[in-house]
Amino acid sequence: MSSSSDVVGGVHGQAESTTAKLSFWDGGSLPYSIPSKKLGMWLFIVSDAITFSAVIFAYGYLRLAAPDWPRPFETSSIVNATVMTFVLLSSSVVMVLAVRASSQGKVGSAVGWLLATALGGVLFDILHIREWLGLIHEGVRPFQNPWGTPMFGAAFFTMTGLHMTHVTIGVIYLLIVAAGYRAKKLSPVDVEVSGLYWHFVDLVWMFIFPLVYLLSAKMA
Amino acid sequence: MAEHLSEAVHHHAPPQGFIRKYVFSLDHKVIGIQYYFLAILSVMVGMVLSWLVRIHLVWPKVAIPGLQALSAAGAPGGIITPEYYLSLMTLHGTLMVFFVLTTAPQAGFGNYALPIQIGAEDMAFPRLNMLSFWTTFLGLVCLLATLFVKDGPPISGWTAYPPLSAVGSDAGPGLGLGQDLWGISIAIFCVGSLLGALNFIVTTVDLRCKGMGLMRMPLTVWAWLITAILSLLSFAVLFAACVLLILDKNAGTSFFVPAGLLVNEKLQPHSGGSPLLWQHLFWFFGHPEVYIAIVPGFGVISHILSTFARKPVLGYKVIVGCLLSIGFLSFMVWGHHMFVSGMSPYSGFLFSIPTLIITLPATIVSLLWLGTVFGGRLRFTTAMLFALGFISVFVTGGLGGMFLAQPSLDIFLHGTYFVVGHFHMVMGVAAIFGMFAGTYFWFPKMFGRMMNEKIGKIHFIFTFIGVYCIFMPMHFLGLEGNPRRYASFVNEFLQPLLPVHEFITIAALATGAVQLLFFFNLFWSIFKGPKAAENPWEATSLEWTVPSPPPFDNFGGKHPVVSHGPYEYGVDNNGKDYVMQSDPAGQPASS
Amino acid sequence: MHMENTETAGFKVIFSVWFGLLGLTVCEVFLAYRALPLVTMFVILMILSVFKAALIIAYFMHLRYEQPSLFVTLIPAFIFVIGMMTVIFADSSRLSHMRSLIQ
Repeated sequence: MSSSSDVVGGVHGQAESTTAKLSFWDGGSLPYSIPSKKLGMWLFIVSDAITFSAVIFAYGYLRLAAPDWPRPFETSSIVNATVMTFVLLSSSVVMVLAVRASSQGKVGSAVGWLLATALGGVLFDILHIREWLGLIHEGVRPFQNPWGTPMFGAAFFTMTGLHMTHVTIGVIYLLIVAAGYRAKKLSPVDVEVSGLYWHFVDLVWMFIFPLVYLLSAKMA
Repeated sequence: MAEHLSEAVHHHAPPQGFIRKYVFSLDHKVIGIQYYFLAILSVMVGMVLSWLVRIHLVWPKVAIPGLQALSAAGAPGGIITPEYYLSLMTLHGTLMVFFVLTTAPQAGFGNYALPIQIGAEDMAFPRLNMLSFWTTFLGLVCLLATLFVKDGPPISGWTAYPPLSAVGSDAGPGLGLGQDLWGISIAIFCVGSLLGALNFIVTTVDLRCKGMGLMRMPLTVWAWLITAILSLLSFAVLFAACVLLILDKNAGTSFFVPAGLLVNEKLQPHSGGSPLLWQHLFWFFGHPEVYIAIVPGFGVISHILSTFARKPVLGYKVIVGCLLSIGFLSFMVWGHHMFVSGMSPYSGFLFSIPTLIITLPATIVSLLWLGTVFGGRLRFTTAMLFALGFISVFVTGGLGGMFLAQPSLDIFLHGTYFVVGHFHMVMGVAAIFGMFAGTYFWFPKMFGRMMNEKIGKIHFIFTFIGVYCIFMPMHFLGLEGNPRRYASFVNEFLQPLLPVHEFITIAALATGAVQLLFFFNLFWSIFKGPKAAENPWEATSLEWTVPSPPPFDNFGGKHPVVSHGPYEYGVDNNGKDYVMQSDPAGQPASS
Repeated sequence: MHMENTETAGFKVIFSVWFGLLGLTVCEVFLAYRALPLVTMFVILMILSVFKAALIIAYFMHLRYEQPSLFVTLIPAFIFVIGMMTVIFADSSRLSHMRSLIQ
């Protein structure tokens, strides 16, 4: 615990003439006991989660109202999407390892795990784009598809596109953090903050996967 | 660990050079002033647009000089076409709501004053702050660009309802590139707002100086915090909606456009969408948005009333509770914009109740303001006049809301001038009064000079009378059934109302002219006003403990310690009637 | 003052969570192929997804080990906003009903 006199944070260490119990909220300390950057990223995540929710709700609204929503995903598509889910979940675990390593000061390890996470993201993107190309080849567009209401393609590409954009930005972000942490320009906090973003991206997929793929799986 | 402070606020050396000091500045004070002037530019353009539409309504044959050069199709011979009327009206609304009312009260004054008021050196994320401003600026550029593209701004209103906004230029001018630019501008604005909001929240939570507990924060800080939370949660939805609208227009998706739509006899290639979905998403954002526009004003007014009544705010904790309830309830009322949209009537009933409930905290706050002023030793500075005027115009405008909150009455009043009168009183007048009050109050701190009080008072009295002349009659027009967003009134039942419209237009032009006094006062005083002392208003909050204008790091490297609440006025303190927040504990000795 | 909480999930916990998440995913996939009505399927899948999200938030994003006040600040606000947004589905089901009438 810091005790340098001009640094905010030593509330408990200072003698106060009042007998009131000082709370984290009395100023001069971080009430959530996390660095500001981390709080900032959490707030961003809440907002971005609401954006995704709005898009997903729009999908739900239109699907509920549509009598002709197709269920076209063959087993191969579902398997592909499941593999993508595994890839993303695994990249999340690897990210936890990166954060753990950075908090222990193991720069080399942390950078390695960060690169592995980014690699997971790249693999996810590749599988996803392959899938997109396959669907486009079958005639799926944002404005039509061979099976049912044109909104199927619109909802599919919008949700997965928005998510894929976030994954791609995440990969670039992780690479920047890896480089910066290695060059000692960034700190373990920055690694942790990037980890929060990555887990969020994974979290969103936990909803997109069942809502988009499983609910449109072609039943036998 | 010392890294908390250093990572929360980068200890940057004072900036050198014009670009670093005034253009790409990390200093929250500069950024706040940049936002403020962005709002000033936007309000000037928005006001001119309002003159154009008002003139067209009552003197449609008058040729307006220069307009044909701007848009040959929209104003041939200087006469505004009905479509161009809608374009100008759309731009007016969009500019005012987003680039005036969502910037200056929060990002303008908030950026400027919040860090100093909580005893911090800067915002938590100065670079993000700079990015937020330039992002917002980019949004403004995109929006203003609509004036110069071939077909002009979109005709769909600031609310951009599909299908009109989603089907493209088949449906009218401005709906092609103009609507795209609108969507992009607003989406960019959402990003800027989001980044600003999280900066405000983290700053207020983490960077308060020692002793600045939550219940010692000035009400301005509470208001900015609550507004930031509303922004964080609601702009997210608008962003999603804008993305979907842009896709509908350009990628052929049909989130908002149903099948079988014929526009100008052309079948639109869409199927499966619902226009109501846009309305839900838009107003889910749109209602918190209007509170984002007004809540900073609540904070500023509370602060100023106390300062110039030389009395503590009556019911500080109650006001905090009311602001929190308003924020909370604001997410539950959006459907009151949709009572006649074809939305489920049961939803309508459900929305009507919280809409009526939300009047309670607003009323309590208004009464507490009156209680703050009552029995005070009033100092009628211009800032105080605008603060008192705010109470009047906010209550007047707010009362109209009570009518509109009831679906049964709204069936008649929706889409009429009653609504226009209502929202202009609360947003176009009250929120603007908040901005005026804030300007007159913080000007000495921002620019180290005083504004001219005489001109300020003339500005106030004529503006106050003027806005009532403009917007009160609109309520009566609405009750008579006068629809809104009409470029001309040709129906027979509207003819007797035309003299009222003339009166409104003349009042609007006159009141607009009076604002020239304000702009003159503002710009003149920046350069030639008498020098300001550190605390010309004898106010108690921390920004009045530092020089006018403050050094780049606000407190000169020191960290203030707060031992007092924000509104210790009317005390006997060694000849002064107030105690500053950072005065030593135990003052005033005599009380 | 406490900065980083030293208490953090150990390797065992992290890998258990990971296996749990993979397992739940497999469950979801199997469930998807049961012939259940759409709404029932949706509800079950949502419950499972929320549970997976909770695991990620608690253990990977470390929220379980942070101050309770952080959880109280972030999560209820989000749930409230999402909860309010569900009101729009009243119109979605009306639309569905009206479309079935003209079919």
